[in-house]
Amino acid sequence: MAGSDLFTGSLDLLILKALQWGPLHGYAIGRWIRQWTDAVLIVQEGALYPALHRLEKRELLSEEWGISDTNREVKFYTLTRSGRLQLRRESARFGDYARVMTAALAAARP
Amino acid sequence: MKRTFRFEPRLQDVEEDVRREIEAHLAERSREFEAQGMAPEAARQAAIAAFGDRGAIEAEVRAVHRQTVTARRRTLRWDELRQDVLTAVRGLVRSPLYTAVALLALAVGIGANTATFSVLRSVVMRPLPYPDSGELVQVWTDHRARGRAEPEWLSPPQYFAIRDQVPAFSAIAGYQGWGPSLTGEGDPEALAGAAVNADFLTVLQVPPALGRGFSAADDDANAAPVVILTDGLWRRRFGGDPGVLGRTIQLSGQGWQVIGVMPASFRPPEPWQILRPIRRPVTSRCNHGCIVLRAIARLAPGATIEQASQQTAAAIARLIPESPEDNSRVGSWLVPLQDQLVGPVRPALLALAGAVAFVLLIACVNLASLTTVRAAARTREFGVRAALGAGRGRIVRQLLTETVVLALMGGGLGIAAGVVGTRVLAALIPTQILEVQAIGVDAVAVMTMVGVTLLAGLLFGLLPALQGAQPNLMGVLRTANPDDGRRAGMVRRGLVVAELALALVLLVGAGLLLRTLVNLQRTDLGFQPGQLIITNVAYPSARFPEIATVSSNLEQVLEQLRRHPAIAAAEVDDVPPLAPGGDQDVTALPDGRIPPPGVEPGGIWYRSVSPGTPRLLGMRLVAGREFGPEDRAGAGLSVIITEEAARRLWPGEDPIGRFFTSGPDPDSQRATVIGVVADVRHDGPREPLKMQAFFSVAQMPTRGTSLLILPSGDPAAAISAIREIIRDNDPQMPLGAISSFSERLQAVTALPRQFALIVGAFATSAVVLALIGVYGMMAYAVGQRRREIGVRLALGAAPAAMLRWIVAEGMWLTAVGVGLGVLVAAATTRVLSASLHGVDPLDRTTFVVLPLVLGLAALLACWIPARRARNIDPVEALRAE
Repeated sequence: MAGSDLFTGSLDLLILKALQWGPLHGYAIGRWIRQWTDAVLIVQEGALYPALHRLEKRELLSEEWGISDTNREVKFYTLTRSGRLQLRRESARFGDYARVMTAALAAARP
Repeated sequence: MKRTFRFEPRLQDVEEDVRREIEAHLAERSREFEAQGMAPEAARQAAIAAFGDRGAIEAEVRAVHRQTVTARRRTLRWDELRQDVLTAVRGLVRSPLYTAVALLALAVGIGANTATFSVLRSVVMRPLPYPDSGELVQVWTDHRARGRAEPEWLSPPQYFAIRDQVPAFSAIAGYQGWGPSLTGEGDPEALAGAAVNADFLTVLQVPPALGRGFSAADDDANAAPVVILTDGLWRRRFGGDPGVLGRTIQLSGQGWQVIGVMPASFRPPEPWQILRPIRRPVTSRCNHGCIVLRAIARLAPGATIEQASQQTAAAIARLIPESPEDNSRVGSWLVPLQDQLVGPVRPALLALAGAVAFVLLIACVNLASLTTVRAAARTREFGVRAALGAGRGRIVRQLLTETVVLALMGGGLGIAAGVVGTRVLAALIPTQILEVQAIGVDAVAVMTMVGVTLLAGLLFGLLPALQGAQPNLMGVLRTANPDDGRRAGMVRRGLVVAELALALVLLVGAGLLLRTLVNLQRTDLGFQPGQLIITNVAYPSARFPEIATVSSNLEQVLEQLRRHPAIAAAEVDDVPPLAPGGDQDVTALPDGRIPPPGVEPGGIWYRSVSPGTPRLLGMRLVAGREFGPEDRAGAGLSVIITEEAARRLWPGEDPIGRFFTSGPDPDSQRATVIGVVADVRHDGPREPLKMQAFFSVAQMPTRGTSLLILPSGDPAAAISAIREIIRDNDPQMPLGAISSFSERLQAVTALPRQFALIVGAFATSAVVLALIGVYGMMAYAVGQRRREIGVRLALGAAPAAMLRWIVAEGMWLTAVGVGLGVLVAAATTRVLSASLHGVDPLDRTTFVVLPLVLGLAALLACWIPARRARNIDPVEALRAE
């Protein structure tokens, strides 16, 4: 995934999470991720777009052109039903993963 | 995942989409930077920098779309293909006649080809079953300079000279036929075998599976007698018991030790069951009658057959000073073993291959022609479909699919037919070759045919498909075009002409073969075998040392046979007509005169017969007398010769009372001619005449002869009588196979008969296919012109004139097709010449009658649909539009 050093699948999961409360356009999704990850995870902002399109192709997102708060023509992305399912499944999986990794890395003795 | 129906965005749209999306992103981002207090220009630059490599990201998005688009297209195409196949099958089911004819054409064409090429590859192209079999050659001597057309065997001195003086051969082995009788192991049995030089199995490079091969020591005249069994004989007579090694078995009254058993895979060049060493290294000078050895040699690595041939000729030439009369003007005649064995059937098989290729061609042309006609008839359907939005490519594809589906179905049927046909064709191959080369359906032949089928389907589907798919939309929809395009019509006519021409070529070929068959059956053989049955008896010298006892025993057996009620007559002939092998000619010097230098003395074939044999065999005495009691042992040697011998020994003179000798020696026995019989075609109707001399068995006793028996009624009763009498006479005497003379005669004409039958069947199918083609085209033409005919009739044209008008076109096409066929046939029937007998490849009768017959049949095929033109009701024809 160009411009990203996320763990595989993390960006997809963050996008799905960003859309949990309703439709957002690409820039707003990026801003949400930046805010919640202290701008650590995303090196290239543009890397978001291939991921968005990929998720759309997998029918986890649907897209629609609309007008932004700033009165610009932008494309809004919405979670589909399967996107919502995917978010739930992947969050649980990532939680497990993070917990075991943290525990393992915090181990003091062999 | 639920399938939703959605429109796929095009790739250009995706690009535009992404560009706009990114622009919006950059605008939002710079606004945010500005809000943080940056100048607009700087904010813009910062937004771009934060975004990353824009080009790479756009490309990545495009790639995301492209992948899914291709995947989607693939499934779409698969769906369309399935749809096309279904439509094709439905369309084929809707026109059963077309489908049936097309399938038949393909099945016949492909079936015949699969069978023929399977046999061709098994017999002619597959190497013989010996390692590096390409190096094996049959070694003959060439006596053509001495007036003998046939290749000749070797004399022992020639064999030794070649063995020692030809470096181009790495090994050579001579052999002779050997027919021992096996006794003491159940029923006595006459075996077919060979006496071979010790190197024989080394030359073939096939060692025994059990025991050992022959050593040089075994080949000595004083060595202990040893034999090697073939796997078949070992299993049949010795129960496959390995303990047979070292055992001594009784062969013709002498003990022979078994030293080896050949592997089951071993195929001897002739159908031998047992091998022994020659044990007769004949180093002594041998006279002219001593040409007794056949030989197979293996070329040394890198040596060519030409080098071997030159060296062999030189080796023979070196024998001239020692024995000029045997070796001067004798050359070498080397034949690759493969050619030697399969040579006789090769021309017939190649001609057959040509014939079946023609059948396939006709089948394809027929398919193409029918498909074009069908496509033309469906122009309107395609016009409508095109109007409804079907792309041109889609229509072409649908037509193509139809043809390919048809071709595949036909191909399947054809290959099934080929499997059956291979067995039928295998009957054409002499058993002697089948013993060496097994025949099976050949995978390569089948694969080739599958390829040809697909190609034919594509090629011949494409032609009409392209025609069918370029409908002049408006024209088609407005009304049925009276003539759907001159070019399409030309193609259809061309195809019909081609079909007729090809069919005629096959028909002429079949006609020539049929005349050959008739000629063969009409040939006067000079004997009439009738109901005669025949079997061999042998008196080995080990058990009958005195030849006089042989004669008296034979006479006794004949008397017993004649007395039996089931037997009407019994005679003997040591080399009866149509008997294979065992034949050898002897020099005949008329009046004992030495021929002038440069003239080869004629060779005459000796037969030793009982006095009643010529009459029993139905030979016709044309001069002199038959054998009588005066021609007894001890009296002067009497001989009955054939007309051919009389003509060549005493041209223009009366041979009765004249004599010939077998050598210039004054002591040579004189054979006085007492009678002349009409020519006897000893080897069958196709073979050249031989000079033959019949001696009385009383004056020329023989140890091996054939009994000729005429049953008085049921042949089965006669056969059991023969068995009984022979067994009672001598339980050790093996009884050879009992066969009927008419079977032998059948066997001689079997090959030409099968060949004529098969080519006849091909020609018939070709003609039927061609006639269907003519019929289809004329029916179509009449259908297309309904309207035109209707108008003409309405304007007062006579119905008969309509008929003539339609038929005239058919006649013209027929004339062109048949004429073309005559030309092609005249150019190609030469390939058959090896298979013809008594008929010229350009036989006039055949070349006149058959084109007429085909022409008339084609006219009939035109006339039937044309009649419909006469019956067209003008009102209806016009209203139908």
